[in-house]
Amino acid sequence: METVLSIKGLTKNFGALRAVNQLNLEVQAGQVFGMLGPNGSGKTTTLGMLMGVVNPTGGSFTWFGQEPTHLVRRNIGAVLEHPIFYPYMSGQMNLEVNAMIKGASKESIEKVLDVVGLTERRNDKYRTYSLGMKQRLAIGSALLNDPKVLILDEPTNGLDPMGIAEIREIIKRIAADNKTIILASHLLDEVQRVCSHFAVLRKGSLVHSGPVGDVGRGEETVEVIAFHDDLNHILMQFDGTMSVKRTIGPFEVKMREGFTAGDLNKFLFDKGIVVTHLITQKKSLEKQFLEILAETK
Amino acid sequence: MLHLLKIDLKKLTNYRTFWVVCGIYFISLSFITASGMEVLKFAADKIEDFGGAINIRRVPLYHFPDVWQNLIWVAGFFKFVLGVMVIISVTNEFAYRTVRQNVIDGLSRWEFLKSKILTNAVLAATSTVLLFVIALITGLIYSPEIHFTELIDDVEFFPAYFLQLFGYLSFALLLSIFINRSGLTIIVLMVARGLELFFIHKVVNVDALDKFFPLESMEALITLPFQRYVFMEVLDHPLISMVIIASFWVFMFNYFAYLKLKKSDI
Repeated sequence: METVLSIKGLTKNFGALRAVNQLNLEVQAGQVFGMLGPNGSGKTTTLGMLMGVVNPTGGSFTWFGQEPTHLVRRNIGAVLEHPIFYPYMSGQMNLEVNAMIKGASKESIEKVLDVVGLTERRNDKYRTYSLGMKQRLAIGSALLNDPKVLILDEPTNGLDPMGIAEIREIIKRIAADNKTIILASHLLDEVQRVCSHFAVLRKGSLVHSGPVGDVGRGEETVEVIAFHDDLNHILMQFDGTMSVKRTIGPFEVKMREGFTAGDLNKFLFDKGIVVTHLITQKKSLEKQFLEILAETK
Repeated sequence: MLHLLKIDLKKLTNYRTFWVVCGIYFISLSFITASGMEVLKFAADKIEDFGGAINIRRVPLYHFPDVWQNLIWVAGFFKFVLGVMVIISVTNEFAYRTVRQNVIDGLSRWEFLKSKILTNAVLAATSTVLLFVIALITGLIYSPEIHFTELIDDVEFFPAYFLQLFGYLSFALLLSIFINRSGLTIIVLMVARGLELFFIHKVVNVDALDKFFPLESMEALITLPFQRYVFMEVLDHPLISMVIIASFWVFMFNYFAYLKLKKSDI
């Protein structure tokens, strides 16, 4: 598999503050790579360095195995933070300027306007656009040179539900087009749905990286409600039980590996207990994310 | 190269302020340099004793070859307007953060700067050509007789004028890259020459060193020509030493702008 991006020991200091600390990361072709992390964890600074606008303090990185030059950047489409355009120019004119910079053809402008649904408003001034339209124009501009890699930094930030849905549709369409996408986002649920791999940053350091598919593997937790006075005790007798916890409502049974909710149900039924509520909790990325952050505190 | 220039001109030509400021500059420059003789004649008609002992109609302001240096010297006063245009164009890129996006999209920082430097060269060249045409036409109108040798005498002031104007715009570009905010940059450009004069005359006060100061070196390319009408010697060609000193500063302005842009996080 082709390595698209390889980062080695990348570091950035802003004065005394270390914004990115010894970051090592690899992104392979075809991955949809999610970058997670709380605000101020160094996501945007990292992307800024990868796109040549922030000078690294130390470390190095390569794109497609090459030294990162401005020519390499022309094959990467990137939207960092907010959409940035000349407010006094129309969407069309802005794309024409960017196409000239990237060396993209004029025909590609029509194509990307169509992809992001701005063909009708192309001749209106950029400053008259809604936030959602600005965001869409930015994605369109990033697609101009038919890039192999697309970098999107919080693409749905500040949008209303309809805007979010539109952007999500566009990302899905692009991902289906076999592009490598690096997506920095707070929306964990979105990352889980769209991304194949993810990394978690905290205070500038990489604290986790791996495939999204691994999330939720390992032990399961089963919620149980049954009308029995001594349910806690009985649940402890089950071979597959690792621990039982009750806060409010259902008992939460943490299972040993190899045991499922079905085994527990059968065990209880054999004891003459009928459950009224039995749910296997899928570990969400959100939960894992919070766990990872808590572990590394 | 041409490609970079086209990118910057596309940004500018779609910007209304660019047309307004350039319009003010080129129209006032043309109008004032072209109409000098008529204004003086008008004043002489209306105001008794205007010009005192000299007969203003006889002063060969617009005769070849005087017309070249006279108009070029007067044109020097207008360069501030063009400097403001450069400041607006460059500081806009920082205010809108488009310089950042340009680099993300694949322009190197040096290419970005080069596009601005090329625009400066085009603006300076346009002024130079316009002024040449105006001086040529007015010279043909007002010169009593035209000899080719007189006509081409002193035209070496045009390359000097180009250098002066390009240098001034390079200075405006440098200030914009360092200060980033349009209002403050314009104020600094406005007072820079005054500060330099203060420094030259009140702090250093060694005549021999004057010409080494950056803005002074560019001003000294084109000397005040009008004393010749009161029978004083004037320098009727740019000094090669001044061309060298001014060129050095022009290079340094752009080089420092490059260093600053290269080092900063944008």
